Amino acid sequence: MSNSHQYIALICSLPHLGLLFSRADVPISAFRLKQRLAVLAPDHARLLRDMIAVTDWAGVARCNEDSEVLARANKVVADLADYPDLQHLAGTRMETRTIIAALRRRRDGQETPGDIRGWGFGRWCTQISNNWSDPGFGLSHFMPWVPEAHQLMAAGDHIAMERLALTEVFRQLDHYGHTHQFDFEAVGIYVLRWVIVERWSRYNVKDARRRLGTLVDAALNPSNAAPPFPLARPEPFLGQPAIFEETAS
Amino acid sequence: MNEFVVALGWFGLFAPVALGAIGSAWGCALAGSAAIGAMLDSDGGYGRFIGVSLMPSSQVIYGIVIMFSLQQTTVDAANGAALFGIGTLAGLTMLFTGIRQGEVLASAIHASKAKPEIFGISLAPAAVLEGFSVFALVFALVLAGSIPA
Repeated sequence: MSNSHQYIALICSLPHLGLLFSRADVPISAFRLKQRLAVLAPDHARLLRDMIAVTDWAGVARCNEDSEVLARANKVVADLADYPDLQHLAGTRMETRTIIAALRRRRDGQETPGDIRGWGFGRWCTQISNNWSDPGFGLSHFMPWVPEAHQLMAAGDHIAMERLALTEVFRQLDHYGHTHQFDFEAVGIYVLRWVIVERWSRYNVKDARRRLGTLVDAALNPSNAAPPFPLARPEPFLGQPAIFEETAS
Repeated sequence: MNEFVVALGWFGLFAPVALGAIGSAWGCALAGSAAIGAMLDSDGGYGRFIGVSLMPSSQVIYGIVIMFSLQQTTVDAANGAALFGIGTLAGLTMLFTGIRQGEVLASAIHASKAKPEIFGISLAPAAVLEGFSVFALVFALVLAGSIPA
């Protein structure tokens, strides 16, 4: 099967993910998705794995230093030179993460950005640095979500903040997704979407409440401290998405 | 010179079949790949996916009809150029519409998998392309009647 036919068959075998926040579960499991992605050429599989590892929070959580994340991001962006849209998407995703990191640092009381090149990625580092005291870092006129995110962070509304960030990422994916239907870029965009939908589906109010109760119990009665995280599902932000666990070698 | 025109005439005579076959093969392969992929993600309706994926096969049939309508008792300098012009252009039409039909059918299969209620309407672009093939077929037949024997 030639490349174009292979991608047509692959894309058509993947279920529609729907709108963000519109469903509580993922329409295809990690196991099935991994099975379907097995038809990718080795080079494409590696590119996709690297891109997911650097754009997904779970992949970044494995890095101990910001410099390590930046080095991986730069490498992935360079490796995606043959796929400009995926390259832009990965870069834009890292820039979004830089803006959110800056918002968090400012919320935590940091008065200056410090060496922003040491923890930030992309085009807006200088802009953020020069407009540190501005709620939108001087980006509000074309990124209206930034001042909104600032307000949500200040109000401590973490769920709304998470929704806003994921909506912005989904919007970026939609922007590039409209121009690709049956090619490697379309597969990459689908998997990036799947990772977000899968992550959102793992958020569970009951689990969170139970976990909070366990943590409070452990803090009040250290002697009775049971395993602190009796979660039925894996902790969000920790661990690589399951589709890439075995192939990460 | 006459031999060259005769050669062009034979080229034009078979072009609708050859180019139509390439277009049909290409289009069916594109739409067939989509149908196979869609079957992996569906619990039923396999027949309709495979059925629409065969739609581009009509181009080679039109090509065969055009070839027979262009067929002459002899191919010579008097009719070689006409056979070449009509046959080659009709064949290119079949080639192009076959490939493009395969692409729009792949999109239709993909879209109707997510939203089954649009299955019928999603075939409209493919039907329009089929119409263009039929235009080429009909007017090739009309012009074939005026080729000097």
